[in-house]
Amino acid sequence: MSVIDVRPVLFINGYLLLVLAGAMLVPAAVDFAYEDRDWRAFAAGAMATAFAALGLIFGARPDGVIDFGLRQAFLLTTSAWVLVSGFSSIPFLMADLDIGLADAVFEATSGITTTGATVLVGLDAMPRGILLWRALLHWLGGIGIIVMAVAILPMLRIGGMQLFRMESSDKTEKVKPRVTQVATGIATVYLSMTVLAVAALWLAGMTFFDAVCYAFSAVATGGFAPHDASGGFHESPLIEWLLTVFMFAGGITFILFITPWKRGEWAILSDSQVRWYILFLLFFASVVALWQWAAGGMAPHDAVRHATFNVVSVVTTTGFASTDYNAWGGLPLVVFFVLSFIGGCTGSTSGGVKIFRWEVLFGMAGVHLKRLIHPHGIFVIDFNRRRISEQVVKSVLGFVIIYFLTFAVLALLLTMTGVDFVTAVTGAASTLSSVGPGLGDIIGPAGSYQPLPDAAKWLCSAGMLLGRLELFTVFVLFTRAFWRG
Amino acid sequence: MMDFRPILQIVGLILAAMALAMLVPAAVDYLSDDLDWRVFVASSLVTGFVALGLILGTRTGAREQLSIRQAFVLTTAIWVAAAVAGAVPFAFSALKISITDAFFESMSGLTTTGSTVLSGLDSMPHGILLWRSILHWLGGIGIIVMAVAILPILRIGGMQLFKMESSDKTEKIRPRISQVAGGITTAYVGFTVVCGVLLWLAGMTPFEAVNHAMATLSTGGFSTSDASVGHFKSPLVDWIIILFMTIGGTSFVLFITPWKRKRWAILDDSQVRWYLGFLGFFALLLALWQWAVNDWSVHDSVRHALFNVVSVVTTTGFASTDYSLWGGFPQVVFFILTFIGGCTGSTAGGIKVFRWEVLFAMAGVHLKRLMHPHGIFVIDFNKRRISDQVVDSVLGFMVLYFLSFAVLALLLTMTGLDTVTALTGAATAISNVGPGLGDVIGPAGNFQPLPDSAKWLCAFGMLLGRLELFTVLVLFTRSFWRE
Repeated sequence: MSVIDVRPVLFINGYLLLVLAGAMLVPAAVDFAYEDRDWRAFAAGAMATAFAALGLIFGARPDGVIDFGLRQAFLLTTSAWVLVSGFSSIPFLMADLDIGLADAVFEATSGITTTGATVLVGLDAMPRGILLWRALLHWLGGIGIIVMAVAILPMLRIGGMQLFRMESSDKTEKVKPRVTQVATGIATVYLSMTVLAVAALWLAGMTFFDAVCYAFSAVATGGFAPHDASGGFHESPLIEWLLTVFMFAGGITFILFITPWKRGEWAILSDSQVRWYILFLLFFASVVALWQWAAGGMAPHDAVRHATFNVVSVVTTTGFASTDYNAWGGLPLVVFFVLSFIGGCTGSTSGGVKIFRWEVLFGMAGVHLKRLIHPHGIFVIDFNRRRISEQVVKSVLGFVIIYFLTFAVLALLLTMTGVDFVTAVTGAASTLSSVGPGLGDIIGPAGSYQPLPDAAKWLCSAGMLLGRLELFTVFVLFTRAFWRG
Repeated sequence: MMDFRPILQIVGLILAAMALAMLVPAAVDYLSDDLDWRVFVASSLVTGFVALGLILGTRTGAREQLSIRQAFVLTTAIWVAAAVAGAVPFAFSALKISITDAFFESMSGLTTTGSTVLSGLDSMPHGILLWRSILHWLGGIGIIVMAVAILPILRIGGMQLFKMESSDKTEKIRPRISQVAGGITTAYVGFTVVCGVLLWLAGMTPFEAVNHAMATLSTGGFSTSDASVGHFKSPLVDWIIILFMTIGGTSFVLFITPWKRKRWAILDDSQVRWYLGFLGFFALLLALWQWAVNDWSVHDSVRHALFNVVSVVTTTGFASTDYSLWGGFPQVVFFILTFIGGCTGSTAGGIKVFRWEVLFAMAGVHLKRLMHPHGIFVIDFNKRRISDQVVDSVLGFMVLYFLSFAVLALLLTMTGLDTVTALTGAATAISNVGPGLGDVIGPAGNFQPLPDSAKWLCAFGMLLGRLELFTVLVLFTRSFWRE
């Protein structure tokens, strides 16, 4: 098998695009109902996407049973995200927004990767179709990410993800997991959580439309809001707490929700990754809350609420802001910068390095110190009460290091486009981890990516895709060994 | 319970050497009729007394060998004690600086960092200036000896690669220090003399030449002028210093036997090749930028780019011009370069080139393994295969390095510093570079305006980085003290 058979790859891409075309009809219907002319943009986008999809499906239909190898899985993962990002930018381009190609692709990529970095300002006055489309992109991207993290990445052994391989798929190298069962379970959980979020936010005082947009965005840990003031728009503590809860839920491994109660225990609370995640959030929320109360002069209740909201928002890589934390000064800024690398649990909708990798990393650091004293001692690292193999530890380390290298290179390239130091560094971190807002005056929580040069927007879009696909999935396509077979 | 007596005894010997070293600036100040000579004599006496007390008080009958744990304690203890002793003249002198500042300056000197809290250097008494350079110079030789003789045995972050063959069999620490140390010292002194003479011939006064030679070879960065090397406005001086900073960042063991099997061992060493290639690449990049974007002349761009890239990568910290004015891209380049560092067994700090080498090889293997999950891939270093243990150590080191950096930056912001000062200050302290970026601690500024707590944190960061993290951090683990 020297040349990869790309037909199955294109075939599946066709199906994904067909789903996307179907999704475009939703904002088209909404805009039509509200008599906004933008409905044509969506209808045209849906037609174009559907044509391309049908072309791929019929043109690349493989004969017989689909035989799917490792290399095709790599190719599929990357190409699917790139194609979907490309096609979902069509409505942005055709709608009445007056934005260029770079902006449209940026916005679409930011949506589908659940990043939430935006180039649009004046959201409050925008037609509903566009706002809904952004939320919908988040929501579709969110479910796509979970399925990818559960079904595909473990098979590809990306950065220690082999830990999360489903038992049945252990024996073969072919990619043919029990997707259906698990995927159905996850989809059910995802859907019901979204419905719950919509209902809760609606009851808390949002309009129904706002509730839908915020719910899609929170559960997918995206960060697009239908208002420029993001999470702070409603000025309602209840709404902010509700959003905090749903962002938090979006950052938890979704598989755990399928069987939440196992052997008389809450599976969620006995999972070591979730425990770390909760402790981590609590710790940093209290540090920032204390700081805001003691040094920033906030009322205790406001300090706790804003600290929790924004810490949860950054760690789950959502990117909502309840207030402009860029104005909080020294310590909180560096905390938010550091937090943008953490990320939620694996198999959730959040991005970043992910908690389990940090867990393995700390275990590794401890073992290291012990080994200095006892050079011949044998130490093992546990994860969820199972011993981790050397291979996994190495994969994790390799991942984390490549992550920071990619970050450094991306920041460098951004400065070459003429962006200032803080914007470049935090923009690179924010897009790579799919958080959304950076720090500083331009791309901070109160700003947008609009003023950046086009080159910087393309770089950021690439960064979002890279981070979302956990780097290696993309990088491997650039190696000679991949194409040589 | 650990036996501290051999540790204290060696610390005493080191302090005695410091006491002797203090007599040099005393003599210089005396000759130039500066009253500060009394300060140095008094400091020397105090240090000498403490040293004698330690040496005599901890005398044990038998010659004992140090265990690994004692070696860890010893390494950290020496650096802390020497930094305290080095701070005494600063604290007593006519500079009127606080204990914090004195300790910061001394730690910055000994770890060859080169961050300073002093300004108005051009009009300062010669004794103080000379003392800062001597601290650099002593620190420099101390670092090389430590990197060659001690760290490989403690297996710090992959340094076991550089273990000398004779010490491989035993866990006791008794390396062939004398032979190798003799060779290294000769090379170090030789280069310093050559550098000093060249600088003198290039137009510096003898005093300036001596100071800059010491600060260059030790990749320290203290200068005799607030404008650093930019003060001399002489391209020739810049080029000489570029050359000797590069030498200071090269593994010194290679200079002992530069010519092996009819080849230059130095150019044959893969670490040195990476190091030179790396310097060339980034200097070229910045020179192009300065030439194309900032409209500098070709010669100026090349010289300033090369000077400052070499200065940051070798963690010297000299500045030929205020590069924080070069704009966004060069700033991020300099920030990233802060983490690179020179070769192992040199006077440079930072992560070190060989670790990056292992890292990149590791990343390549990773990508290959994704394709061929059951393939077997090996990583080479200097044409020898590297064991998994070493790769693990290297990776662990890097991870801990960036974690320490993040924690230090966080703590610095808690003292009230702005984001850029905190981030670059943490990076520059832990990599022993010297200047950071931004208005406060940039190449044109100094560390004086920082709050005291920030100075202590930076001083700790310098020590941590200089001792390659694990040497210090291991002392804070429970299993170290539990037996």
